[in-house]
Amino acid sequence: MAEKAILYDATKCTACRGCQVACKQWNDLPGELTTNRGTYENPPDLSANTWLKMRFTEIGDTPDNFRWLFARRACMHCTDAACVEVCPTNALYHHELGFVAYKRELCSGCGYCVEACPFDVPRSGGGGGGAVHGVRTMSKCIFCEDRITNGEEPACVKTCPTGALTYGDRSDLLAEGQARVASLKSTYPNAYLYGEKELNGLHVLYVLDDTPDVYGLPVNPQIPVAATVWQDVLQPIGWGLAGLAALGLGLNYVVARRKIKINSEEE
Amino acid sequence: METVERKPKSTPILHYIFGAPPAPGEDVVERYSRPVRILHWVNAVAWIVLFITGLIFFVPQFGGGAVGGWSGLFHRIAAVVMVGWAALYFVTSPRSALSGVREAFKWGRDDIGWMQAAPSYYMLGGEDTMPPQGHMNTGQKLWWLTVLGAGSLMILTGALMWFFKNIISSGAFMWSAFFHDVGFIALLTFALVHVYLSVFHPRMRGIFWSMWGGEISTKYAESHHKKWYDEVSKGEGS
Repeated sequence: MAEKAILYDATKCTACRGCQVACKQWNDLPGELTTNRGTYENPPDLSANTWLKMRFTEIGDTPDNFRWLFARRACMHCTDAACVEVCPTNALYHHELGFVAYKRELCSGCGYCVEACPFDVPRSGGGGGGAVHGVRTMSKCIFCEDRITNGEEPACVKTCPTGALTYGDRSDLLAEGQARVASLKSTYPNAYLYGEKELNGLHVLYVLDDTPDVYGLPVNPQIPVAATVWQDVLQPIGWGLAGLAALGLGLNYVVARRKIKINSEEE
Repeated sequence: METVERKPKSTPILHYIFGAPPAPGEDVVERYSRPVRILHWVNAVAWIVLFITGLIFFVPQFGGGAVGGWSGLFHRIAAVVMVGWAALYFVTSPRSALSGVREAFKWGRDDIGWMQAAPSYYMLGGEDTMPPQGHMNTGQKLWWLTVLGAGSLMILTGALMWFFKNIISSGAFMWSAFFHDVGFIALLTFALVHVYLSVFHPRMRGIFWSMWGGEISTKYAESHHKKWYDEVSKGEGS
């Protein structure tokens, strides 16, 4: 099946935050009580109950060079996903439509994904937590799996009034994003399509009129080295060592049982 | 007269599994004091709990066992019991605890001799080249060093991931998980050897009971730990 994606065009976004509200409504996530911090950006961060929020960035200090930038902040649904790499129970996995899905009933609440994600997206604290063991399962954007597998757009896309968010086949959106960036280049020479190559392709693409770092996005996101070495090198070595030890001991038993019995009988 | 009739409290099935303890009436020497034996078995039980609750985390197919967080809770309880009991032992018997730790670092010429002789000694039954050994032989010291070293690594990295999760960086957390796994592999591999040698290996068959009752036969002590046996028998003035 063709991989799906969301295209976010920052140049069309007015930061109305309708997508934030739609996300909470569709996914039944309660609002959070926050305090006025002197910015429209609210709530201040992602949480177990906030899977999508808009980031506001202010650049420049004179009216001439001042810019107010908006960027969508939610799961990027990476092809090379650090969270899937480190998840010990396979609760996190790649859906056949490309995005990163998860089964909450398999989540052990270990929090490895929270630490491994190069975009700082997953949050512990879902599922309420047990009375005794206090485990809190992970929460993040689920790409509105329930909607898209029934032929609907994700809730955030559905509600976007300016067309900054679109949904469709990733290959189509990639072409669309590339064309949009090309047309922006004349006015914004740094215009960039984020998510085309990052981590082997994200399933949320960003049309930016400047470099990613200006928007607070990591320029070259990577799976943490520790996670890769741990999963792809150390764990196979561990299985190999334990297997060799068991094999060696079995061999020893077979040989030594005969040899050493004979010796002691000779005594 | 009655002593003739006395029979050992025989538990044949256990003897079948673990080998036979010293026969009744056989000369024995004390090898492990009661506090050391209790420390060993508390540690062993906690280790098994830690191992199982850790392994289901290692293998995605067992991952279901970690759901709900109960395995994590048991993992932490076992960790507290293990570390707590060792600390308690250290506080109540500091002198024997210190000398026990020091034993891991006493290395000499006979340890090199052990390494050269070990393959033949443990595989083929060759005895001639094995130099006399102290209270712990070289292999036991290696295991003891692994327990101390990898154990410290487990405590350090485990504490970082448990208590300091919100303070340390994501990178430090990931490396803690990595080195917790390194310690796991080292301990698991060496524990396989430890259990095999103390229960199944024909040369040490029955030695399991020394960690249960605390005693080994003088015959075994002399043939396996000559240097230690000489010290002990001299001390007894026999």
